[in-house]
Amino acid sequence: MLLENIREAVASIFANKMRSLLTMLGIIIGISSVIIITTIGGSIQSTLTATLNSLGGNTLSMYVEARYPEDDADWETWVYPEMDEEDYVTQEMVDGLIEMYPEEFTGIAASNWLGSGTIQDVADADHYANVSVNGITPEYLDYMKLGIHAGRSLTPEDDKGQKRVCVIADTMADYYFDGRDPIGEQVSVVSGDGNIWDFVVVGVYEYNQALFGRVDTSIPEKDRSTEMMIPLQTSFRLSGNERRGYDYFDLMLAPLADADQAMLDATDYFEALYADNEDFHIYAYNMQSDMEMINTVINVITVAVSGIAAISLIVGGVGVMNIMLVSITERTREIGVRMALGAKRRTIRLQFVIEAIVLCLIGGIIGILIGVGIGALLGQVAGFLIQSMYADYSSYIIMEVHPSATAILLSLFFSMLTGVFFGYYPANKASKMEVIDALRYE
Amino acid sequence: MSEPVIRMEKIIKTYYAGKPNELEILHGIDLSVSEGEFVSIVGESGSGKSTLMNIIGVLDRQTDGVYYLEGQDVGQMTDEVRSAIRNRRIGFVFQNFNLLARASALKNVMVPLMYSVERVKNQKERAMEMLSMVGMEERASHRPNELSGGQKQRVAIARAMVNDPAIILADEPTGALDSKTGHMVMDIFHRLHEEQGKTIVLITHSQELAAETQRIVTLLDGEIVNDQKGGGR
Repeated sequence: MLLENIREAVASIFANKMRSLLTMLGIIIGISSVIIITTIGGSIQSTLTATLNSLGGNTLSMYVEARYPEDDADWETWVYPEMDEEDYVTQEMVDGLIEMYPEEFTGIAASNWLGSGTIQDVADADHYANVSVNGITPEYLDYMKLGIHAGRSLTPEDDKGQKRVCVIADTMADYYFDGRDPIGEQVSVVSGDGNIWDFVVVGVYEYNQALFGRVDTSIPEKDRSTEMMIPLQTSFRLSGNERRGYDYFDLMLAPLADADQAMLDATDYFEALYADNEDFHIYAYNMQSDMEMINTVINVITVAVSGIAAISLIVGGVGVMNIMLVSITERTREIGVRMALGAKRRTIRLQFVIEAIVLCLIGGIIGILIGVGIGALLGQVAGFLIQSMYADYSSYIIMEVHPSATAILLSLFFSMLTGVFFGYYPANKASKMEVIDALRYE
Repeated sequence: MSEPVIRMEKIIKTYYAGKPNELEILHGIDLSVSEGEFVSIVGESGSGKSTLMNIIGVLDRQTDGVYYLEGQDVGQMTDEVRSAIRNRRIGFVFQNFNLLARASALKNVMVPLMYSVERVKNQKERAMEMLSMVGMEERASHRPNELSGGQKQRVAIARAMVNDPAIILADEPTGALDSKTGHMVMDIFHRLHEEQGKTIVLITHSQELAAETQRIVTLLDGEIVNDQKGGGR
């Protein structure tokens, strides 16, 4: 019976194709605009989220920042103060923070670029490898999502002891050591400015091209440079800079940590430590907060467009009601015949409500298809805009364009609701007809 | 004597009751039709025969008087029950066929089954059976606009019969047909009457067709002026 009703509804809608399409227009426009905007918004959000996650998940960036003058008048004479030994954040301070909030912070990711150099095989002038030497904290490889392929990662002991150890890229290990096990081998890096640094290889990490930027394919593979990781403190010592602290680092947040709370806790913690420091304090920054701002903007736009869509659904619904009233008048005789053959009033009402629902649903589905199509297209465009705006980071950006399933389901639901709401009055009118009057209607 | 299928007592039908233009169409009709009878109701235009048929067919309500259909007082029935009565106990055949334009012959015959309160099994088989009874099984998938007048009326008869009603109510069933196809349709009614013992009430203004039936009830100005045996066939 219900199936038969739906079939009849579809048949009668298709019997008047042009009229049905025009009637559906309001619903099509309303639904497609919501789908378009949610697809674009969702794509921007998930592209940003996916990109940030690939860059090391949720982190809190901490800077040592000068205390800026509070009075405008002081700005003229103010100069950015020099950083002294005691202005840097020490590993002990960070350890103290992690100890205090172990459920919020999992570690610290900081790096210090030491320099580029070449590892030269003394026996063979043509056998060498170019490396870029970076001092990193032990958690850094994890933070960059770089897996250890062989050997081990760097440890806090390596760092504290300023040990001469290194972790090399698997690509470099393959061509420089040529199949030999590199673990335990000693390498000498001759830096661009003539320094010689000796390290023992303790591990091999999986090189990730996307992470280190574009590969210059015009250079032969053996001449290409790979990143060599050494303990951060070792890098400080080798650079002749005996400081043991950070002016910038990323705090790694636990997966379930509340970024805002963590930011407050970290800020409070360092504010206390820097209370007596006249020149500097710690400034915390969280990409997540930027994300939230973008999300807020997108949400506001979505709500605004949804409001417009709601109006267009109402207008569309009135159109549906109007056409249903016309249809019922046209089909008065049919209604009379159906009643004469035994259709109950509620059966007639159901038939026309279903017809209105089917009409609105077809409109909704057309709107969804149009919306998904245009939305995906514009989502791509938005993605390319982001890529061109941040061209330097374009290889980091992970594009994710997909329509929102929630928006689609909600659209279907509201299309149906429009059908029920605006179809009920005409359908009820049809059901109230007297069989003999309807049958005699000319 | 068993209860007649139709028993009407002092049926009065008034239009615009209580208004200045009040018009009484039926002035107290007493009519009984027994099971298996083939009755024709004849009369001039405006004699009230269509109004009477609408009341017999539970399409319209009488203003006064009582009407028992198979012993049940139709005047006391709710809308729901009246729908069910039209669906199960009465088979309509209209002058202008009243088939659903967008549905095939088969679908048209199935409509009363669809509206049936009890779930009817094998609806298609049942409808096909009815179509072959009127010789229309080969046209089952045709729409009304692809059928001739006589064929449409045969489909309509199949539809009237599909729920095995107590009476068949035919309102000028040959009125829109030429005399040859009209006779063919009448043949079907005679067959239903003779072979299946159906009770049939035929409304017509053709004395010729009425003469073929068992009983002729003549209406004039809202009153039965003659009730005589017909010639039959």
